Amino acid sequence: MTGRLALVLAVAALAAVAAGCGSTSDRTLRASLQALRTQTPTVTSAPSPNLPCSAAHRRDPTASLRPLEPLPPPSGLPQDSYASTIRHRGRLIVGVDQNTLLFSYLNPFTGRLQGFEIDLVHRLAGAILGNPDAVEFKAITTAQRFPFVQEGRVDLVVDAVTITCDRWQEVSFSTVYYDAGQRVLVPTSSHVRDLRDLAGEKVCVTAGGTALTYLQTYARKHPAHHPLPYPVAQRTDCLVALQQGNVAAIASDDAILYGFAAQDPYTKLVGPRFTDEPYGMAIAKSHPDFVRFVNAVLAQMRADGTWRADYRKWLGRVAPTPAPPTAHYLGSR
Amino acid sequence: MLVSSSANTALASGLPDLRGFGARVRADAATTPGALRLLATLAVVVTIAFGAVTHAAATDRRHATAAVAGHTERLLVEADSLDSSLSDADTTAVTTFLTGGIEPAARRRRYVADLRSASRQLTTLTQEVGSSGTDRAAVDTIAVQLPVYAGLIEAARANNRQGFPVGAAYLRQASDLMRSTILPASARLYAVEARRLDSDYRTGVGTPAFAVVVLTGTLVLLVLAGAQYFVARRTNRVFNVPLVAASVVLLAATCWTLVAFGLQQGSLSRAQRRGSDPVEAFSAARILMLRAERDESLALVARGGGDQYLADFGAVVQALDGSRQRGLLPELSRVATRTGSLPSLRRYIATLNAYLAQHAKIVGSERDGHFSQAIATAVGPHSTETRLASRMNTGLGAQVTSAQRRFRAAADTASADIAGLWVGIPLLVLAAITLVIVGFRQRLGEYR
Repeated sequence: MTGRLALVLAVAALAAVAAGCGSTSDRTLRASLQALRTQTPTVTSAPSPNLPCSAAHRRDPTASLRPLEPLPPPSGLPQDSYASTIRHRGRLIVGVDQNTLLFSYLNPFTGRLQGFEIDLVHRLAGAILGNPDAVEFKAITTAQRFPFVQEGRVDLVVDAVTITCDRWQEVSFSTVYYDAGQRVLVPTSSHVRDLRDLAGEKVCVTAGGTALTYLQTYARKHPAHHPLPYPVAQRTDCLVALQQGNVAAIASDDAILYGFAAQDPYTKLVGPRFTDEPYGMAIAKSHPDFVRFVNAVLAQMRADGTWRADYRKWLGRVAPTPAPPTAHYLGSR
Repeated sequence: MLVSSSANTALASGLPDLRGFGARVRADAATTPGALRLLATLAVVVTIAFGAVTHAAATDRRHATAAVAGHTERLLVEADSLDSSLSDADTTAVTTFLTGGIEPAARRRRYVADLRSASRQLTTLTQEVGSSGTDRAAVDTIAVQLPVYAGLIEAARANNRQGFPVGAAYLRQASDLMRSTILPASARLYAVEARRLDSDYRTGVGTPAFAVVVLTGTLVLLVLAGAQYFVARRTNRVFNVPLVAASVVLLAATCWTLVAFGLQQGSLSRAQRRGSDPVEAFSAARILMLRAERDESLALVARGGGDQYLADFGAVVQALDGSRQRGLLPELSRVATRTGSLPSLRRYIATLNAYLAQHAKIVGSERDGHFSQAIATAVGPHSTETRLASRMNTGLGAQVTSAQRRFRAAADTASADIAGLWVGIPLLVLAAITLVIVGFRQRLGEYR
């Protein structure tokens, strides 16, 4: 009787000790919480050096290298040229935006990029590879444009890049393929006529774009009455900000604003152009021969009417078709 | 000894009414009936103390066990399901966007179902969490931001259906809101509830309760044994039946308490090891998988501009990967070994590897500029990757559900294990006290 009781007691004590020792542990909890805390690694590009630009480009930033003459057929590209490297690879790699309606955007129904700039790229691919569709498009953000060219991740960037003297320090440019200028987009209900009416108001700009630089300069010149820049990462984010009422206006190139207005009938472009934004294709400084090749293709497009045809196709509805922009070349060969 | 010395101090500090109390007690104890009375008082006091202490320990454990089985676990499950629903909603929304202008009806249904269950879980949580604290703040954040998120997604859809690129910007904003505000809040909520469950486990199995019961139980049995010895010597009777009975009753009470505690502890430990541990590990894996899936979709939506999403994909896979010490997979296999689901886990790992192979193929196609091929591989109607991902999702979800079932069963058993103590211990202690009094009365009666 007592022996059995003692046995029960001993068993109970043993069970207690056993259960007490191995009972709880937060090991799994810690492991799973730590796994869930996984942070997104940050992806950064090296900042570009800020060097003064050359005297020639200070005089005329749009002056590019003289075109390759005559333009060779795809089968007759010079052996050691960059164009023949591309031909060898089998495709042209181009950095573009995919959200600029009319210029360069993704058609969600076909899954293909299209627009004025995309057509230019297809023509360039045709000239190099004999096949206009042998292109690999990389969608990039405004801030990624020059790092991608410099790191050789793309052959060129065709993404509404304004040619400026400073930017020549980072990349080379082709001749001008489109003459844009900055304007202001506001809701149709707005009484704003130009930048002066926007003093103290938030104005959306793309981070790393020329409109931001312009607004900053404007603010220095008019410290008392100036718009407040509202920078966003990607161009289209500006239209979202305007539609959500976070900003009073968008300052950007008219080329981009045309596309915004086409997506939102309750917006309008107002005021005159307050800057000139000549667009060029950005190419690595290490490939001057490729700049010449691209310039030759552009020269041919200006001469044979394809430039006009492409313009009319994409922008004919929003603006009258002008003469192609005049090519400017640096003085010596 | 301690009593008398403190009584002396009381005397010294001048309480003339009590003067002589100690002396009277001492004088009384010198006679046999006096000593018996004193012993009886001591035995009753010690028995009451045992009863009180044991009852308190049992009540503590009962509350902690009830908390584990009821409130805490429900909160944890809701918080976890909320996190999964939200992750799945965003992953589905982003992936659907990739499929082009006209969204497949099945994906839209999945998104709406996710949103619906998230709202339902949020309603439960709003009622259950306290009115302040981290969990309340997290619930409020989600409740405020979720409608905003849903609105952005619909704006993205409406624009996308018209072929407007601004749809992608709305989608990006929605997904950013989800990833930077809503999901972190739901992760905080989940962490708070998981820690609360952990602390309830600790209270439920705390070793002090054991020690206290063993100590007071031993003490009361020693006192009763001493009393019997004294009574036997003073009165020349070998056994005092009521006193022996009281000892047996108290021994039984002690054993019952210890056995019940041991069983309850075992059940709670099973609830954790086979229940909530697998819930935590498998749902973490599931959430990470959903995040990887969404990263890939966002990278494809960004068309080559999505390096940060691919980097996040890499980080997530690393957090999952079993080949590294810090990964979740070693923990998963430990947990799966316990629950006997190791074969299922091996299947998931094989599926994960197949999924990663598909992912590599997609990234490769994208890098080579074959976008439509990459998208077809990722979300096309015959996509192997989609099938693998949904197999993972369903499989891990099933593991979570069955672990929740195991948890509930074990937690209910734990509650049942100690349910009787609540009434049983006071009754046994009352019986023991009555027996002690009866036993001493018999002897004292002989002196009248």
